[in-house]
Amino acid sequence: MFAYTVRRLITMVPTLIAISVIIFVIIQLPPGDYLSTYVAELAAQGEGVNDERIAYLREKYGLDQPLWRQYLMWAGGLLQGDLGYSFEYQLPVSELIGDRLLLTFVISIVTILFTYAVAFPIGIYTAVRQYSIGDYTLSFIGFLGLATPNFLLALLLLYAANIWFGTSIGGLMDPQYVDQPWSWGKAGSVLAHLWVPVVVIGTSGTAAMIRRLRANLLDELQKQYVTTGRAKGLSPGKLLLKYPLRLAINPFIADIGNLLPQVVSGAAIVSVVLDLPTTGQMLIGALKSQDMYLAGSFLMFLAMLTVIGMLLSDLALAALDPRIRLEGKAAR
Amino acid sequence: MSRGAGMATAGARLSRRQLLLGGAAALAALRLAPGLPAPVGANGEEPPILRERVAAGELPPMRERVPASPQVETLDLPWQAPGRYGGDLRLLMGKQGDLSQIAVYGYGRLVGYTSDLELEPDLAQDVEVEDGRIFTIRLRRGHRWSDGHPFTSEDFRYWWEDVANHEQLYPSGPPRTLEVDGELPEVSFPDDRTIVYAWSKPNPTFLHELAGALPIYLYRPAHYMKQFHADYAPADELQARVAEYDQRDWADLHTYLDNLYDQDNPDLPTLQPWVNTTRPPSQRFVFERNPFYHRVDPQGRQLPYIDRLIVKIAAPSIIPAKTGAGESDLQARYIRFDNYTFLKAAEDRFPLDVRLWKPAYGSKHTLYPNLNANDPTWRAVMRDVRFRRALSLAIHRYELNQVIYYGLALEGNNTVLPRSPLYREHYRQVWAEFAVDRANALLDAIGLTERDDRGYRLLPDGRRCEIVVESAGESTEESDLLQLITDSWQKAGIALHTSATQRSVFRRRTFAGDSVMGIWKGLENGVPTADMSPKELAPVDQYSYQWSKWGQYYQTGGRSGEPVDMDKPRRLLELYEEWYVTRDTERRRAIWHEMLRINAEQQYTIGLIADVPQPVVVHTRLRGVPQEGLYNWDPGSFFGLYRPDTFWWADEAETAEAGPEDAEPRDAYARTRTGEG
Amino acid sequence: MSSTTGQGDSGNGRPGARLGGPARGQIPHRVDDAPFQPAEETPMTPAQERLYRASQWRMMWWKLKRHRLAVASGILLLLLYASTLISEAIAPYNLHSRFTDHIYAPPQSVHLFHEGEFVGPFVYGFDYKLNMENLKREYTPDKTDVQPLRFFCSGDSYRFWDLFEADFHVVCPAEGGTLFLLGTDRLGRDMFSRIVYGARISLTIGLVGIAISFLLGITVGGAAGYYGGWVDVGAQRSIEIIRAFPEIPLWLALSAALPVTWSPLWVYFGITVILGLLDWPGLARAVRAKLLSLREEDFATAAQLMGARPPRIIFRHLLPSFASHLIASATLSIPTMILGETALSFLGLGLRPPITSWGVLLSEAQNINVVALYPWLMLPVVPVIVVVLAFNFLGDGLRDAADPYG
Repeated sequence: MFAYTVRRLITMVPTLIAISVIIFVIIQLPPGDYLSTYVAELAAQGEGVNDERIAYLREKYGLDQPLWRQYLMWAGGLLQGDLGYSFEYQLPVSELIGDRLLLTFVISIVTILFTYAVAFPIGIYTAVRQYSIGDYTLSFIGFLGLATPNFLLALLLLYAANIWFGTSIGGLMDPQYVDQPWSWGKAGSVLAHLWVPVVVIGTSGTAAMIRRLRANLLDELQKQYVTTGRAKGLSPGKLLLKYPLRLAINPFIADIGNLLPQVVSGAAIVSVVLDLPTTGQMLIGALKSQDMYLAGSFLMFLAMLTVIGMLLSDLALAALDPRIRLEGKAAR
Repeated sequence: MSRGAGMATAGARLSRRQLLLGGAAALAALRLAPGLPAPVGANGEEPPILRERVAAGELPPMRERVPASPQVETLDLPWQAPGRYGGDLRLLMGKQGDLSQIAVYGYGRLVGYTSDLELEPDLAQDVEVEDGRIFTIRLRRGHRWSDGHPFTSEDFRYWWEDVANHEQLYPSGPPRTLEVDGELPEVSFPDDRTIVYAWSKPNPTFLHELAGALPIYLYRPAHYMKQFHADYAPADELQARVAEYDQRDWADLHTYLDNLYDQDNPDLPTLQPWVNTTRPPSQRFVFERNPFYHRVDPQGRQLPYIDRLIVKIAAPSIIPAKTGAGESDLQARYIRFDNYTFLKAAEDRFPLDVRLWKPAYGSKHTLYPNLNANDPTWRAVMRDVRFRRALSLAIHRYELNQVIYYGLALEGNNTVLPRSPLYREHYRQVWAEFAVDRANALLDAIGLTERDDRGYRLLPDGRRCEIVVESAGESTEESDLLQLITDSWQKAGIALHTSATQRSVFRRRTFAGDSVMGIWKGLENGVPTADMSPKELAPVDQYSYQWSKWGQYYQTGGRSGEPVDMDKPRRLLELYEEWYVTRDTERRRAIWHEMLRINAEQQYTIGLIADVPQPVVVHTRLRGVPQEGLYNWDPGSFFGLYRPDTFWWADEAETAEAGPEDAEPRDAYARTRTGEG
Repeated sequence: MSSTTGQGDSGNGRPGARLGGPARGQIPHRVDDAPFQPAEETPMTPAQERLYRASQWRMMWWKLKRHRLAVASGILLLLLYASTLISEAIAPYNLHSRFTDHIYAPPQSVHLFHEGEFVGPFVYGFDYKLNMENLKREYTPDKTDVQPLRFFCSGDSYRFWDLFEADFHVVCPAEGGTLFLLGTDRLGRDMFSRIVYGARISLTIGLVGIAISFLLGITVGGAAGYYGGWVDVGAQRSIEIIRAFPEIPLWLALSAALPVTWSPLWVYFGITVILGLLDWPGLARAVRAKLLSLREEDFATAAQLMGARPPRIIFRHLLPSFASHLIASATLSIPTMILGETALSFLGLGLRPPITSWGVLLSEAQNINVVALYPWLMLPVVPVIVVVLAFNFLGDGLRDAADPYG
């Protein structure tokens, strides 16, 4: 197991290097750079910026350097834990993302819990009562969230929450609580705002989970031991929960590492519509304004999360299944 | 206020005019209107938020905080009245960079525009202009920065000598806008309240630059900035500060902190009515009143009335929704005309009042035929005035107005607005009526008579006459307008395609001559006086998309771009250069009129629609905001023109009797309309 | 081959399997009189014969039929795709027809009875008033203005597939009347017609995208699975890298990189390529895993010995063994692409007007005015939901059916 872990860790290095190169290329792909976007924007509002100042900034941020050198500067910084500098916010990236990361994780974890809470009952029911009216109805409901474009659902709920419950529009709390210390009022306000993104992001993920759980459970339910158990007169509830469900859930547990990055990136669009102070919103803003270090370091961070998540999944699977460990050795 | 004060203001205005024009009168002075100010702080009233600090001795009393001769806001405009202290004003901004808008709204400038777009001294006590080229700025005695440190000519000297002319801070020297004909001013500081900027030739734009929404800041809080300047701060302390702020060297650090406009450094002293107290990054910024502010009301009470501004950062796309949910007390930024109906519906649920103000664009949307297009056929066609006139005649502006603007906008060419003293009906109307038959006759006369199987005309080289209009791709309004124009141009046998790009791409292609036609805003300043620069009417700026290459040629002194090779534009260039050196207002006015006439008749830009109203959402209890007004960047500084430091919160009870006030505003707006010529 | 191995498990319902006696524990002893001839094949009943001889596809069809929702979804999708062939005739109006005096008109509902009297399908005309107070265009149905619909009629003329002029429509408004089944937008364009035209773009974008994804996935996954070794390692790594990217930011960055000067048609292809480019790794993994096991099977070795070259072995022999599986997973990928297109349009990076897709229509509905005042502009979400659901149900059904052990 130790050898497998080490091997797996070593293969991560070239993967991460390749990812960083690709990220850098991708954020450089759109024409122009932050400063040209910035100048264009200022000029559009009728504000002018003098050319010398721009040339100065370009030199200062190293935008006048060849691409490969810009890459080395950025990647070298990353290695030393320096995430670079945001042009838009005029601050080091590391100072910007702290609070946002926390909120992002809060939203993501609540969302994941919500997804489980919805997906499990539906998944189990639809597997046990395959092709029944209930199966169709619940699948339909489960899939509805997947089928509705997130941004529209978010906008509708945003408006509805304001009209019905008087929740302030957008954000994660009422404006007066922003930057205030935590209090009961603040926590309540956060809860009142949190349900919209959780429902919107969560429902789009339930369908996939329902589908997998149902398929896994169906496989298990057809196996001999279930028949045996039934023959021996086990109660249906116990028969379902004791073994088949536990086996059917196994892959999910192994997959938890993957879930977090997926939710974090899936929340990006919703966070734009709902104006959530999360990383996703900042990332999309940064990509649009070509705030390249901010965007790049963010993407890199998400990619790291995913790679680590995959690693954890693989390790979990390997722990569960010795064959994978051995196959790994044979293949490499 | 009293009638007497009003007349006095008018008198002062007269003398100011002479001076600004710098005409025959060799010397004149911008002077404070002699109102009837009560002695400052006479009744001992302090803004409640400051009372404790004054009582504790942390702050001197109001009398000592305000300059010896403060700027008195006479509050004699119909929508104004002496107010009361207190309250928060909530605003929504789209991003941290928008904090600079607070410097725009606050509008503390050395000289500033009044709501009639006249210049008056503000931070400066007065400005003397000699011969249109020597400017003597005199500061107010006892004027202080927001941290209580005196505001003196040292702050100007520091900027001019230690910043603008410091090769590490401004590597290419002081800002270009301070140059006249490539020559920088002689700057001197005779005493601690006097600063002199002197050129050898007249500089008619200098005072306007100082009054701009984004002005040239000629001063810096020297006492604060010196901590970060290598010439003043001990090397080791400086080194520590550079490290603390995570900057590369002291010059970077100085540049980073030295920004009076961005409002993102809570430590930086300011002269604005409100001071930022929140360090970024944040989603909510709190600005508190500047205890040393230099303006007072007629009763001698220091402004601003409102204690704090609460600026919430929200995604621009949900700002209309948030405003409609009563989450802003004063909002126009990120609100578009098509939000009006929605906001109007929200009036029933929240205490807000939706007003329609007017921008000052010569035309909100304008087509720019590219006279410098690379494609030789198109260039020749676009340069034919008959073609441009035909295009203009084939636009049904009335329909555009009805369909998109409910008939509330102003149809016509891209030229000055009726509110400008330079306005003539001819400029707006000529070639701007809808007459497809005349358009067809013109096109036939050019010789574009061949048609293809779909009825479109063919160019001389046999291609279909298909104009790709490039846009920056930001507003649906643009694509809707183009959709409507497509249909009417089709009747003239001309095909239109829209290509939505991005701002920077749009520019690059136009500058390079790759595009044939673009759509963009029209004249920035549609309400000029003869003393404002007519640069938008002459080929002197790359950002004039109809002749970018000519503009570039002019701007770079012939190093890039192309020289003007058409008669009329060459004439415009001559006129512009003459305007710059002439000292006679009558002559300047004549130049403006000739330039306006040429531009309108030649249709270098094809204006569509102007005066598209801007919804302004105002809390029903907020006072001091006109019912109708000018919402413009420069001149105007958006709300700055109406001095937000004089806005105040009325009681619930006072709201009830707000009725009569609503009856007045038309007159109030008329006042801003009739700026004198 | 794989299909026959599948028969072992699913015992019930097969004709030959009726072995259970009347009561457990009391199975009567029975001796078959027929001679015991193990070398001889057991004769099959016709039903058995049909089953054993059935092709893989036929069996899949049988199983699919049990999943009624899947079948219904499949039929619905077929109809929708067929409609894109004749969008021009189905839409009552042209894509770009505008009605300046019917801006933001609400949907007109179709009635059959007027004042208790049957008149056939008709709509009421509108009374229109512009409220200058709040700048709202107010429409009320005019109960006296009965406008019977016309069917199989001539209306707006159009160029069918840009080939020839025609003016045939399935349904048209009354002469001089209007027919806005789903209301109109800010320029007075009929939403129903725009949705019908939008289907052409939105439905095909998924197909083109999936084709690209398929091509890449099969090639890469196939090569990796068949050759193994360093090809496999390389493919595995690149799959891992692409999967490590957050999807939406990647779409965003790539679409932002599309040259903005491209014509709408090129943008359309660009977007499909982007959607396809990001979808293939999942498929490639599946292909690889299957191939890894299949290449060890005897029939693959046989083909190899007979001198077939790798591409032929992969595409002729190995792939068909699990093609059904691939089709099922492709079906499940299409809705992701359709939703992806709407997401990109929402971010302003997808297709742009004048191209009309559901995503473009939805992005135009993306503001508070619409939610509060003109909710019918959000209706394009209905076909999106319907199509995505249908693809999902169909895909699920197909997968269940394709699974040999299911």
